[in-house]
Amino acid sequence: MAAPPRALERLSLGVLTVADAVCNRLYGWRYNPLYQSGTIVTALLLVLLVTGLWLIFFYRVSAPYASVARITADPWFGNWVRAVHRYASDAAIVAIAAHAFRMFAQGRSWGPRALAWMSGVFLLLLTLVSGWTGYVMVWDVFGEALAREGARMLDALPILSEPISRAFTGERPLPSVFFFLNLFAHVAIPLSMLMVLWLHTSRLARPTLLPPRPVLWALIVALIVLSVARPIAMAEEANPLRVAADVPADWFYAFWLPISRSLGGGAALGGAALTLVALLLIPLATKRRGEAAPPKSVVDEAICTGCRQCSIDCPYEAIAMLSRTDGRADEVARVNPELCVSCGICAGSCAPMGVGPPGRSGRDQLERVRAFIARPERRAGELVVICCDRGAGRFQRDLEAEGAVIYPVDCAGSLHTSVIELLVRSGSAGVLTLACPTRDCWNREGPTWLYERVYHDREAELKARVDRDRVKIGFANASEPHVARALLAEFKAQLARAKQPVAEAGLAIDTECEPVPASEES
Amino acid sequence: MRLALRAAGVAIAFGLLLAMTWASTAPLRVTTSDDAIVRLSLGARPERIETCRTQSDEELEKVAPQMRQRVICEGVTARYRLSVRRNGQLLYEQVVRGGGLRHDRRLYVSRDLHVRPGPGVVAVDLVRIDTVVARGEEEEEEEEEEEEEEHERREHREREDQLPGVVMPGRRQREAEERERRRVEDVPAELHLEVEAVLEARDVLLVTYDPVGRRLVSTQRDRGR
Repeated sequence: MAAPPRALERLSLGVLTVADAVCNRLYGWRYNPLYQSGTIVTALLLVLLVTGLWLIFFYRVSAPYASVARITADPWFGNWVRAVHRYASDAAIVAIAAHAFRMFAQGRSWGPRALAWMSGVFLLLLTLVSGWTGYVMVWDVFGEALAREGARMLDALPILSEPISRAFTGERPLPSVFFFLNLFAHVAIPLSMLMVLWLHTSRLARPTLLPPRPVLWALIVALIVLSVARPIAMAEEANPLRVAADVPADWFYAFWLPISRSLGGGAALGGAALTLVALLLIPLATKRRGEAAPPKSVVDEAICTGCRQCSIDCPYEAIAMLSRTDGRADEVARVNPELCVSCGICAGSCAPMGVGPPGRSGRDQLERVRAFIARPERRAGELVVICCDRGAGRFQRDLEAEGAVIYPVDCAGSLHTSVIELLVRSGSAGVLTLACPTRDCWNREGPTWLYERVYHDREAELKARVDRDRVKIGFANASEPHVARALLAEFKAQLARAKQPVAEAGLAIDTECEPVPASEES
Repeated sequence: MRLALRAAGVAIAFGLLLAMTWASTAPLRVTTSDDAIVRLSLGARPERIETCRTQSDEELEKVAPQMRQRVICEGVTARYRLSVRRNGQLLYEQVVRGGGLRHDRRLYVSRDLHVRPGPGVVAVDLVRIDTVVARGEEEEEEEEEEEEEEHERREHREREDQLPGVVMPGRRQREAEERERRRVEDVPAELHLEVEAVLEARDVLLVTYDPVGRRLVSTQRDRGR
């Protein structure tokens, strides 16, 4: 069952990587809109709330079409506000699709992230329903078509003896109460989305809700310019006694309309329900099982000093600090395996190296780097490039061709600074760490924490004794070998100005806190 | 170089957003034909086929006051044959019955029939198929009359003598009135509508049931619109 989704995941990742690279080239990684897809959705939701609040003052449930026509006819504070509202809702669908695609491609849809995935699916559903109510509010031929098809789908359910469709046949005028309820739904659904959004981000330690200001303002300005350049025109008023041949439709919200019309209400409703179930089951289908499942982080309680840094750095709030029961005065970290996604960020954040996924903790990393240093083919003064497996690790041959020696890691964010220290002090010319761009990190904050540990003395910092001229952190996406090569060239130039490297003999990286022997406890 | 790339990025983003605005108002072909439509939208109360039974005072005493009903009727609603003809040619024929899983609710019809545009006579018939005189009802009615007289005598006695033992006096009369009111609201056993209509392309001729006039009626759009 898991094979086809995993293959699809890999294919999607290939597409995503290329798209990311194109956007990085065009906008720079800081402002890459694909990295900001989730925050762009929230920004658009805010734009929708503000413009919707303005429009609601002029909407009349007793004369829906006439009131919207009046808004649309006002060029100053009517038409463009309505256009911004409409285009923002369209852009929200695009951004949601991009965000979901990213999460799926990066395998971030299962395990503890399943809650975010499933709440995201509901957010998409609520967005579509909210859009449906918005277009029905106008009560033009498009709104009528949406209402009629929606009613036909609901009529397929054996819950109401009177078909809802009869409300739209023209037998009697639609009552104001219908438009009132529709307006209520159009306001209530987006407000309920805020609650689902809270659920969506509830497992993140520091959810980023808005994009960087340049992206936010660019988005708002672009929407306003578009609204002025392409103002909204009113379609014909709905007339149940006359079938419109062509309807100006918003395809982002009406993509299902032709399907529903050709299949019939019941089949369309069944198809929609099946699609929803399939989307909700993706976490099950993509779940890593058995050996493919990465092990969760564990804490060596004898080493843990209770400094809280792992708990602070964990992007998923999976580490709690508890009182010790062994008589020692400090607290002890405890990993909640239900929340841990095995990102390994905690391994990089623990100065005494007492936490991390088995095989990837700080001590495991030290063991590995010692073996790397001791390998027979090691050259004195070699330039080591630490590559993230999901990023620059994809084109390590390109870097090797440039004379670098590659030291691959599963995530640069989980890299313990002692690894860099050991590589530098053992005689490497320099150590360049190529991490994924910050918003592209599969583990959210990995590159940010690494950068702060190296340059801003964040806990588990790179020690002052390490020559900073021989260390560099750079960011490159998995399909940006040119960026990596440029960073490497830049680093080589930096090293050329530095002093000759000296290999220190008998290196013993202090791990600050060795396990406390049982006899010394309490 | 970087500036050129940024400019290209802005241009591409704006182009994509323009494409988005096009998709936001792109025409959707709702119908591919120029057919006119005869739309049936009926909602009516079907007649009931039921067996009625009178409950005794003893039986009524066993149930809570708000549940007491002197005459209990159980059954289903009648079936009707709905047919639509245009210029004598049968367009649609369907047996319709009450809604709900037990078919004991109002009957609803909501259907669009595609026809060629042009003038024509549209005839709609709704004819009951089942016989609705309920078994035992005639006997019940006779019994009811006798019992009613007896009941009135008892009520009279009750008022005068304040005799205990009469459960819900006057109930029978109210129930009878209610049944009669419902009977009047039922759709007649036969309905016929014949209308001469000129239907233009994509015009809708709406056929509905008027519960006040107890007849089928048709509506067309105002040509001025």
